[in-house]
Amino acid sequence: MPHLPFIIAAFSVTGVGMLWLTVSSYLAMRRSEALADDLRQQP
Amino acid sequence: MHRFANPARFLRLARPLTPALFWLGLLLALGACLWGLFAVPTERLMGDTVKIIFVHVPSAWLGMGGWMGIAIASLVQLVWRHPLAGIAARAIAVPGATFAAICLMTGSIWGRPTWGTWWVWDGRLTSMLVLFFLYLGYIALANASSEKGDTSRVAAVFGIIGAVNIPIINRSVIWWESQHQKASITLGGSSIDGAYLAPLFVAVAGFSLLFGALVLMRMRAALAEMRIDARMRRMADD
Amino acid sequence: MAHRKGVSTTLDTNGRWWFGMKPKHQRLVLALVAFVALIGAGFIAAAALKEEASYFYTPATMAKAKIEPGKAVRLGGMVQKGSIVRGADGVSITFIVQDRDATQKVAYRGITPDLFVEGSGVVADGRLRPDGVFVADSLLAKHDENYVPKELADIDMNTAEHTKDTLSK
Repeated sequence: MPHLPFIIAAFSVTGVGMLWLTVSSYLAMRRSEALADDLRQQP
Repeated sequence: MHRFANPARFLRLARPLTPALFWLGLLLALGACLWGLFAVPTERLMGDTVKIIFVHVPSAWLGMGGWMGIAIASLVQLVWRHPLAGIAARAIAVPGATFAAICLMTGSIWGRPTWGTWWVWDGRLTSMLVLFFLYLGYIALANASSEKGDTSRVAAVFGIIGAVNIPIINRSVIWWESQHQKASITLGGSSIDGAYLAPLFVAVAGFSLLFGALVLMRMRAALAEMRIDARMRRMADD
Repeated sequence: MAHRKGVSTTLDTNGRWWFGMKPKHQRLVLALVAFVALIGAGFIAAAALKEEASYFYTPATMAKAKIEPGKAVRLGGMVQKGSIVRGADGVSITFIVQDRDATQKVAYRGITPDLFVEGSGVVADGRLRPDGVFVADSLLAKHDENYVPKELADIDMNTAEHTKDTLSK
């Protein structure tokens, strides 16, 4: 059985998972923190 | 520990720590993956598929370590009423579940060429799948908590009870005649050759730092949501 | 003003987001879902382990059990040294599975897993042919806990001597 497709698949799964986690966590953090700061500056 | 109970103090620490953990973690994880992909020798029986170990083992460790984190944070939440503990437990859940899923998938991909199957219902694989379902249950319970940033006690109790699965995963290859091999790295030493062990340690360290950065991001998001929530309530009262 | 609208949607996730269900009922439903998932996982595991036990034979138990030919069973043991014979067509293979007390001849057609070598642990799904040969539909090979680079392996490339002790127990 050829090995390369399995290696590529395993590393891709990990890469996609990490990318999704990072992007979603970062965006949630940035959006909420920006909003919280905005609201604080309002009278 | 109660020094960090104050969210403001926690944020002063978390703000610089988040990018530091993230970039260092990314550097180590990417470096270890490249090292593992292009600079390790072929394994005697498995050939090149041995390289999958560099993503499979870190994700297994973080999937299980994540639940230990949830259990400890839940305990702190219930016993000491530490205001950040519930937030921390909740922030761990999604990254932990994702790593458990990555572990299951990479293991399945690794199993096909080496064992000859994508899946078997042996003790190790089944208990790891149960861990993934426990994460889903915890996420459902935590999201149903009434207050933003406040994790319900039901979720916390679930987090603590679910921890019984961790030693089961760990011991499964000893208790049951299983398809999965026994532990390679124990307190007594390692049966993994140094050529694989060194990049594996770097990969575990790198992914762990990334995990830390992700949890901090999620905690910061939750704290900000709480501030928004409080502000909106005050504005509504006026 | 625009972002305040955004605020209310984020906050509403803890309000009534499920068919107008009250938060209390939501929690109840979610708790039930969580426990059903847990119990379901337990049942799956139990059923899987039970099935495993009732169809699993070693060469010794298979010799004693008088299994009728054609019945689907699972055979586990160790691949006997020097017993692997590959057919001229490249996909047929016969080998002998052994445990401490008995041996069983197995025939298989297909690509063998990478870890399938003489001396390694193997689990075969299949059925007995009337002539006593076990015809496998699928083969599972076991790995041990050792990871050794090819060039450092001082033992024969085609054997897995060290798996012997884990299986002969």
